[in-house]
Amino acid sequence: MVDITYIESGGEKHVVDVDAGRSVMRGAVENDVRGIIGECGGSCLCATCHVYVDPAWLERVGGKSEAEELLLEEVCDLQSNSRLSCQIKVTEELEGLLVRLPEKQV
Amino acid sequence: MDKATEAQGSDAVYWDPYRPDIGENPYPTFRRLREEAPLYYNQAYDFYALSRFADIETHLGDIETFSSARSDILEFIKEDIDIPKGMFIWEDPPLHTVYRNVVARVFTPKRMNDLENQIREYCARCLDPLVGAERIDFIADLGAKLPGGVIGMLLGIPDEERDVVRERVEAALRTETGKPMDVSQATYQGEGYEDYLDWRAKNPSDDLMTTLLGVEFKDETGTTRKLTREEVLIFVNVIAGAGNETTSRLIGWTGKILGDHPEQRRQIAADPGLIPAAIEEILRFEPPGPAVARYVTKDVEIRGQTVPAGSAILFLLASANRDEERFPDGDSFNVHREGPPHITFGRGIHSCLGSALARVEGRVALDEILKRFPDWTVDTQGAKLSSSSSTRGWDTMPAYTR
Repeated sequence: MVDITYIESGGEKHVVDVDAGRSVMRGAVENDVRGIIGECGGSCLCATCHVYVDPAWLERVGGKSEAEELLLEEVCDLQSNSRLSCQIKVTEELEGLLVRLPEKQV
Repeated sequence: MDKATEAQGSDAVYWDPYRPDIGENPYPTFRRLREEAPLYYNQAYDFYALSRFADIETHLGDIETFSSARSDILEFIKEDIDIPKGMFIWEDPPLHTVYRNVVARVFTPKRMNDLENQIREYCARCLDPLVGAERIDFIADLGAKLPGGVIGMLLGIPDEERDVVRERVEAALRTETGKPMDVSQATYQGEGYEDYLDWRAKNPSDDLMTTLLGVEFKDETGTTRKLTREEVLIFVNVIAGAGNETTSRLIGWTGKILGDHPEQRRQIAADPGLIPAAIEEILRFEPPGPAVARYVTKDVEIRGQTVPAGSAILFLLASANRDEERFPDGDSFNVHREGPPHITFGRGIHSCLGSALARVEGRVALDEILKRFPDWTVDTQGAKLSSSSSTRGWDTMPAYTR
């Protein structure tokens, strides 16, 4: 299990144990973190699992695919540390990962 | 008793998607289903139904148990119809993945959002001639025209032919009140688009049809190829069919709900920044597609009961959207509602591919309506509701503009 911290736009903090191999999106929707929708179930199609990765973690979560880059153009309030959380796979190296959630997903 | 929560007397909750008296206002029945029979079995039509948000969210994404390979429409599942190859919305992985990825590459949120200005102009063309009129009809004057027009824009179909396309699709998918869908309707494979496809193949442009004709992909055998003519036609059919009636229903519900809530309508008119939230709340409150069906591939235990392999099951999205566990005061329409989003577009790999398009159409339509008609009162007598097992909404939605 890997500890991931999600901070909602209103400040509410969730520390969640997520199985390695799951995605950061899954960890949220399966643990009642409501700021992430994940409508398409992780198919990289809907852009409703937008998160801001804490800058300290940005390199460690890995790079973006072309599909994710394209889809990120659609999110509300895109920033340089924006990612789609369905595309971040949880590994042991991500123990302590911190992501912040945008005010809205659509 | 083996079969879950079968009617045990005249007091037991009963629901089916066909009875007009229930379809008129299904929400009291949905509430009873959630409370009394969260796993409901209907013996008359032999299907199960889930009505609570949490159950639907959990199980709808479990595509190994709840298959789309026999379609997502109850009547078609029961008949075990032949699904045309390429009808990707009615397939399971791996074939579904192959096709959906192709469509996702060409039918992007960006392509949909880029249509915003064209959609605005189209709305203006529909609504400007009505300014000053005492009465408008949200369906006849806009809801019946805009979605077909937008699909036409996407596909690059010329203006003058768009109405023909829309009528063709509507005729193929219409049901009679109180009756299940005719299975012959499932075999519609995009007939009527052939001429346009052949013309577009010779006259490429920057539209979706051209892109579909040119896109290369790796198919389920690992071969890199282009889509066949038949596959392109089916894709076009899926996109046109899925985006037409549902979006028309969204516009009808916009007229109805905001007609019934004049205070909130005035707030939106005064502050157009509320429009996106208003469309989300309309989608929650009255989803154009209130239910989706799945085929159960293996015995599965839900709420302590076994749903046997071979069953058909309905996921009542419209009920989930009112579930008090998820949406406090769920039967109230409130554009200021905060918290979790609705489940109208589904969840998982079969979730609505056109949700971004539906949203941009809904938002622009509402904006353009309010600019011209900030006030209206629904003509309840003249409004006509229709519902099937897969969609529910208004065939006419006349209103007095005061």
